[in-house]
Formats: sequence, structure tokens, C-alpha cells
Amino acid sequence: MSRPKLSVIVPVLDEEDNVGPVAEQVRAALRGKWDWELIFVDDGSEDTTRTRVRQLSQADARIRLVALARRYGQSTAMQAGFDSARGEIIVSIDGDLQNDPRDIPRLVAKLDEGYDLVSGYRVQRRDHLITRKVPSWVANRLIRAITGVPIRDNGCSLKAYRRELLERMRLYSDLHRFIPAVAAGIAAAHIAEVQVRHHPRTAGTSKYGLTRVGSVLVDLVTVTMIRRFRMRPLRLFSMAALVPGLSALVLGAGGWIAGALAPHLIETGVSFLTVVVLLLALAAYLLMLGLLAEFVVRARRRGGRPTIPMVAEVSA
Amino acid sequence: MRRAPGGGPGTPDTSWGGSAEAEHERPDLSVVVPVTENPQPLDEIYEAFRAAFDAHDEVAEFLFVSAPWARGHLAKIRALARAGHPIRIFEVGARAGESDLLLGASGYCRGELIVTLPPYWRIQPAEIMKLVRRVREGAALASAARGQTGDHPLNRLQHWGFHTLLKRLVGTEFQDIASGVRVMRPEVLREVPLYGDAFRFLPLLAAREDFRVEEVVVQQHPRDRRTKVYSPGTYFRRVIDLFGMAFLTRFTHKPLRFFGLVGGALALAGATLLAVVVAQRLAGTPLANRPALVISVLLLVLGLQSVALGLIGEIIVHFSVGEARTYRLAEEVGGLSRGEPPGSESIPEPPPELAEHRTQ
Repeated sequence: MSRPKLSVIVPVLDEEDNVGPVAEQVRAALRGKWDWELIFVDDGSEDTTRTRVRQLSQADARIRLVALARRYGQSTAMQAGFDSARGEIIVSIDGDLQNDPRDIPRLVAKLDEGYDLVSGYRVQRRDHLITRKVPSWVANRLIRAITGVPIRDNGCSLKAYRRELLERMRLYSDLHRFIPAVAAGIAAAHIAEVQVRHHPRTAGTSKYGLTRVGSVLVDLVTVTMIRRFRMRPLRLFSMAALVPGLSALVLGAGGWIAGALAPHLIETGVSFLTVVVLLLALAAYLLMLGLLAEFVVRARRRGGRPTIPMVAEVSA
Repeated sequence: MRRAPGGGPGTPDTSWGGSAEAEHERPDLSVVVPVTENPQPLDEIYEAFRAAFDAHDEVAEFLFVSAPWARGHLAKIRALARAGHPIRIFEVGARAGESDLLLGASGYCRGELIVTLPPYWRIQPAEIMKLVRRVREGAALASAARGQTGDHPLNRLQHWGFHTLLKRLVGTEFQDIASGVRVMRPEVLREVPLYGDAFRFLPLLAAREDFRVEEVVVQQHPRDRRTKVYSPGTYFRRVIDLFGMAFLTRFTHKPLRFFGLVGGALALAGATLLAVVVAQRLAGTPLANRPALVISVLLLVLGLQSVALGLIGEIIVHFSVGEARTYRLAEEVGGLSRGEPPGSESIPEPPPELAEHRTQ
């Protein structure tokens, strides 16, 4: 089987009523354009999703099923799709019909302008205001502010990637929410954003909700740390150690000097001294953790591979 | 390969280790017995289980693996091996836990299936075939669940509490995860990461690696009934093991979620208390000698330390994930298969840490 130009990845979880229409819409959107394959990644569905995709695959050889052994989450499902994809260009799209496959050609055209990743931007979101749109608005602002990657809609699953980009990064945990930030920070990707359509969900149930806000915030810390400090963790921990270390010095030295010069004006005592020692201990602890992290990075980088991916060879 | 009927328990299998042809025949079962604690008479256990296998025409090889200090417990087993019984004896060169012994011996297993038995009575020997049958019917691992009706009430209460906690923390229900009597396909031991005391949780770990794991209710052996109460140290070790396992199964790829939650709660409590004492200072209460000041800063420090540990965990995870797959495929339909490579039927190369003592 020859390698198609385009692989469309659709992670699905209990979407038995949607897989058929998704396949039909993708077929219609890509008719006569390129060779393509459509990969449904079943993330441990408990309904008949897997059976239906199997039937679709029997009817059309371009449709494939990659079924995970259990429910792993969207990031792992997407990564499984990326691992199975054979196309030069890989497009990810939701399995709930809220993304519109007719936007795929526009994303691919933008990618052909020289980008590594083109992300969809839902102009008119057809989602619930309180549970989906407001948290998404806040999360996107936060991600943009903290990561510095100017993407307005990180949550849009409709994205197009160059194969070479996906070979330089891996998704795990819940990193799918931060793909542009991870791609830019780890794989040095050139990223563009394209406006896409968005439709209300007509079948199945949403798997998102407000309960994920806390997880997103923690993951944001992780992504930021990995983006900026994964190769120099001692710098992160040193910066963190500066705050308690300097505080201890200022409090300790200031208290001692003031106590010596004007004992009647300054309050000092055992508790005050203990606080100074605790802050110093925290600073030392953070520095030691930084050294430990450097050790971990060094041990893991022993393959001699470059730490920054080679994007392109530039000849003289 | 199934043995032709004949030859009861205690009868040496003269074909074992005889001709070169027989040497290369693959047994149906490899029974691994890690000898770690004070064992009950191993020769009796061997004879009873061998009889159970013989009764069903199953050809079994027995692998006893021990540390040097346990060598004395194997005297009778050594004599049986010399007499031609299908017994192989291994010894590790250093102090090793049950997991290490099992993993080491698994490299030498030639059987179609691997059976693990503790060096003491757990179940009625005839019941082992229920587990073998369950694996042949499709399970990757079958684990024995004993009734434990004759145990001391406190032990039964501990057993119930342990498994209830296991279900709450890990989300998987087991009746008797620590029986130690298991039958499995060889790939389970090849692919499930085992170390330290993780052997106790092998069914749980195998289930997390997406192997089909089933518990089979069997009759407890009368000599397994514990009428004495476990020591407090046993309870402590069980709970610690449980928390370790819960952490590893739930947060392996997201350690900051755990450490961040704990650290965030501590830091928040510390910051709140600090705000209160500072506010009271502004209202006129002296601050410098208040224990509340120390407690608030201590909580803040602990919280930040916890978060920092989570960050270290994330760095380790980031580099560990590397290019390895973190999932297992159940099925791939259409296109060329790029799924998991099919399991090798060959016997894996044995690890170098073990020395086999051939006694024939």
C-alpha cells in the first residue's frame, strides 16, 4: 500500500452515531484532491464504535481502525494515530462532527506555505457558554500569556501537521491541550492559525467539563517548565531558590543589624530565627533538587543526539 | 506437549533430561517457586502439585530459585532433582526479593505457560488446574483467590480492609491479590515492570498493562489458615505498598498532579495562616515569638518542596517517555499493520545474574 499524501486522525470515545457521518464528510471534503487515509483511534469505547469503524473499513480500504486496549485519554489516542499514520501531512479532527472536514484543504494549503503546524481557530463556537466557552477563553489567555505562543484557540482539535514535526515530539499525559506550545518549545515548529467552522454537537455526549480546570492549570506549569527549562533545570530551581534565600538573608541580616543598633525598636525572637533558618533550608533544598534534575537530564541525554531538533539543512 | 498417561506422583520422570531430544521438548508448564522466606516443606509442595498436573496429563518443569542463605531449604528438592525429577534449581548471587527471583527464573522457563507458587501452602493443589484452564481459555493471567474462611477474624478484617483500600485507591477490584498462586502467559513477565515487592501486585500491574487478568476462586489449603494475628509491621508494609502502587498506577505520567495537589494544599494553608498572623501583628499582637509564625512558614516550605518534587518527576517522565509507546493496541484494521510486534514463540535468553545449578 503506497503512502498517502494525507492522514486524517480521529480519536473517538463512544461515538457510535458519529463515526459514519464523519467518514462520509471526510470523503466528501477530500474527494478528488489527494490520496488520503482516515484513521479512527478508538480510546476504549464501550458502545459499538469499534464495530462500526470495522464495517466502514471493510467498505472503504482508506478507512482504518486503531483500537487501544483501554481508555488512555485523548493525548495518547492522538499519539497512537500519529504513530499509525503514513501520510506526509497529518490532520487531527474531533470525532463529534463539531469540526468541519471541509476546512481540511484550507489547513493543508496553509501548511504548504512553509509551516510545520496549522491550528484551527473556531470563530463562532457552538458550545455551552459557562461550561465550555468561558473556561476555554480563560485557558487560552493563560496559555498564551504563559507560553508566549500566540495561538488563540488551543482547544481546537482541527490541526494539520507535517510528519517531520510529529517525529520530533510525543504526546503523553494531557499534552494535547498544549500542542502548539509543545511544538514551538520542543520541536521548534513554525505555526500558523486558520479560521475554521464549528458546529453544535448533534449526537453523543461531550467528555469535557469544568472539572478539568485544575488539571489544565497544573499541566500548564508542566508545559512551561518543559518548554523553558527541560535542558537547564538547575536554572529554574536556582531562580526558585533565590526568593527564599534572599528573604532569609534580608530578614536575618536586617534583624541582626537592627537588633544590634536599636534593640528597643525591633522584634526578634526564637520564632523569627526559626523562620530565617527554614527559608535558608528551602533555598538549599531547591538548589539540591536542581542539581538532581541536571543529573537526570544528563543521564537521559547520553545518546549523543542533538538536544535541539535539526529542522533543515542549510547548504552554502 | 502433554505427557502420556502414567507415572504417578513421586515417580521419577525418566525422560526428563535424558536424551537430547527430550531436553528440547517444551513442557506445558514452568512452575517457578521463589524461595525467600522460611518455607514449608518444599518437597511436599512439589509432590502435591506435580500429582495435580500429572492427573491432567500436563508436563511441568519446576524451577526453584533462592538466595544463598536459603540453600539449606532445598536439600530434599536437590535430592529429587538428582533422582531425575523435572526440577531445576537456581541461586542468585546476592540478596534479592521475590520479584527479582521470579524475573530471573522466568528467563529460563521453557513452558508454554508459567505458574508461580509461593514456598508455602496456599491452595489445594488440585485447584491449580482451574487457573491453567482459565489462561488456556484466553486470559493472560489467572490469579488464585482463596476463601480464607479459617483465618483469624482480625486477619480476615485486615484482608478486607486491604482490598477495600486497594479498590478505592487504584479503582480495580481484587478479592485476593496477594495469594501468589498465578498462572500466566510468558509475555506477562516479559512486559510487566516488576521490582522490589511489586510481585505481590502482579495481577494489578498486568491489568494496567492491558493484559486480561482474571481471579479464580479456589479452595484454601488447610495449612494456609492463619490463626495468629499479623504483626503491626506487616500492616504498615501493606499500606505503604498500597500507596506506592496507587501513586504509580494513577500518576505515572503526571506526577505534578499529585505533588502539586499536596503541595498546593500545604502552601495554601501556610499562606492563609501567615496572612492571619501578619494581620494580627498589624493590629498590635507581637509576631516574633509566635509558634503560629513558624508553623505557617513551615507549611509554605513543605508545600513548595512538594511542588518542586513534582517538577522533578515531570522532568523524569518527559525524558522517560522518549520515543517509546505508552499504550497498547487491541486491534488494528486496514492498511499495513504497524502495531505491536507479534509475541515471539522462542524462549527468551536467560539473564546473566542467575546461575543454574544442574543437579542431574
